[in-house]
Amino acid sequence: MDGWSRMGGDDEFDVSSGGTRRARWRGLVGISVIRLWKRMVTTRSGRLVATIGAVALTIALLVVVTGIALGLADGGAVADDDADVRIAPEESATLSAVDGVEGPRLGATNDRAETIRAEDGVAHASPVLVEPVQLESTDGDPRTLLLVGVVPDDEPRTVGGLSTESLESGGPRDADDSSDGPPAGEIVLSATAADRLEADAEETLTVTGPHRSDERPAPSFTASAVETAGDDDLETPIALVHLRDLQTVAGADGGQLADHVLIWGDADAATAAAAEAYPDATVQATDGTDPSALFGDGLAFATSLLALIVGVTICASFVATTAGMTVNEDRRTLAVLESVGYPTHSRLTIIAVSTLLTTLCGALLGIILGVGGIHALNTVASATVAPGAVAAVHPVFVPYAIVVALVSGLVAVPYPLAVAARTSVLAEVGR
Amino acid sequence: MSNHALEQATASSGQRSTDAESTAAVRLERVTHEYGSSGDRAVTALRNVSVTVQTGEIVGLEGPSGSGKSTILHAVTGLLVPIDGTVELLGTDLTGLSDRKRTRLRRQHIGIVFQRFHLLPSLSARANVALPLVQAGVPTATRRERAETLLERVGLADRTGHLPGELSGGERQRVAIARALVTDPDVIVADEPTGELDTATGADVLDLLTDIGRNRAVLVASHDDATLSVADRVVGLRDGRVVTDGR
Repeated sequence: MDGWSRMGGDDEFDVSSGGTRRARWRGLVGISVIRLWKRMVTTRSGRLVATIGAVALTIALLVVVTGIALGLADGGAVADDDADVRIAPEESATLSAVDGVEGPRLGATNDRAETIRAEDGVAHASPVLVEPVQLESTDGDPRTLLLVGVVPDDEPRTVGGLSTESLESGGPRDADDSSDGPPAGEIVLSATAADRLEADAEETLTVTGPHRSDERPAPSFTASAVETAGDDDLETPIALVHLRDLQTVAGADGGQLADHVLIWGDADAATAAAAEAYPDATVQATDGTDPSALFGDGLAFATSLLALIVGVTICASFVATTAGMTVNEDRRTLAVLESVGYPTHSRLTIIAVSTLLTTLCGALLGIILGVGGIHALNTVASATVAPGAVAAVHPVFVPYAIVVALVSGLVAVPYPLAVAARTSVLAEVGR
Repeated sequence: MSNHALEQATASSGQRSTDAESTAAVRLERVTHEYGSSGDRAVTALRNVSVTVQTGEIVGLEGPSGSGKSTILHAVTGLLVPIDGTVELLGTDLTGLSDRKRTRLRRQHIGIVFQRFHLLPSLSARANVALPLVQAGVPTATRRERAETLLERVGLADRTGHLPGELSGGERQRVAIARALVTDPDVIVADEPTGELDTATGADVLDLLTDIGRNRAVLVASHDDATLSVADRVVGLRDGRVVTDGR
């Protein structure tokens, strides 16, 4: 026994005094964490990696689908713009498609937009009026389009998913308070609108239907461009016109009415200018997407709800199966714990904490993959079928994904616990 | 305070023996046990076995496979409750206690050394030794200090951070012995403690067991004559019966 110290009678240690419940819980959680970490780093457990990977992929899918749903809910084509700040009337409803119900509008928008435009840090400000108007081409039938009136400037801006580049800026009825002078008469058609009207560029379109007045000649527009609109272009026939032209057609010129005002430039300066011009209106930075929009859009809500149910089901099934198999391999460890004095609830605590920690690791990895997936999806969509982002990311995705994963883990935990509870200590330590 | 007093821990159980003279560390009285369902397929592991181990005594259990050695050890540790007879630990009958109380008594008063060490592979030697103290709620710093002290005493001061997979068989068994001692138990139970070790390493482990048995009750089950030679007394078992008791 070279080098061994003698185990004399001075080796007294009173295990029954001084113990605390807190220290026990910390110890149990610590054992769970260390076991997982050592397995990951030292033994490179394939099953552990598989569990984390499966949870990560499920959560990533959930994040991507929820991101797409959020993108869908984020206003559709009309709200597809590149402005930095939006001023909307208080309590305004989301603008919907052609047959949407008209909500409250802002007044004196032309003057106030001019004031906002003069502020430092503001590059441009434009009231936006949205009005369903019936137009007809020379050879086609009358069709209703969603006309979006906007004040263009020298920079190309995106409003309603269409570029203002083809609208000539600086005309007598643009960017000032004048309602005199001839109408600009330019219109930028979305591909869907052009299809419906059977019109091409340079086509002349005449206003018909309820907007046509007998007191004055029928207003007409000349198509200056046909563009592919945003992600909603397959459904919404939309067209950009000069604000003053549309206000005249819609009878909104007297009150200088508009549905909202868009501001481009420094977000803080724009927000301050907007709040000053419209103290009672809702001013919001448009770079953030509001997740509550999901609840206001049936399709988006259904999509995200389906993703949630599928995510929880797949995640819980996989965690339950792999954790159950892991516990089955771990029976000897459980038997050893029992033999050194761990009661059933402590052994099950270790299993539950290990399972939930594994799920949490998968969730964190899944969030990273999901956000990366959304960026990749947007990149691919922008390069191919859509003019902009089709999916949106929001910070609330992080707690959302973690909660979903933890719920999945909690749903899954009874199975490994049942496997653990059936472990026979004598069968294991006797081997 | 030594951990050798069971009275406080079990005062509420009302199971204490009233015979002051018979408070041996371990006493099995007319213990019978069967494995399997009753009827033809039941296997009788112990028949009317009575064994007593006093504090400071090392008792060897000798016999072929299936003779009941391990069953006696499992009954003493409270991992198994025999179908008949009494198993007293420091005067408390384990057969009348709940699972929870037996588990607590095992943690506080019994240290187990297995043939195959049964260390947790993902925990360091120090964490393995400290394992019983976690459940006891001992603070981290105290656990660490206690585990390092015991590892130092079994000659593994330089192996505290090693995983079991990085240790030799002898070193693993010494870690297992340190774990068995960490709660300063009254009774040490060892099942074939040298069965997986070579002769020289086995001799070292036996020296250690002999050393720790000075003020504890030690029960060692083995086939091996060298292992049994360290015992003060050897109980011979055949077919679940005591055939010799070298008193």
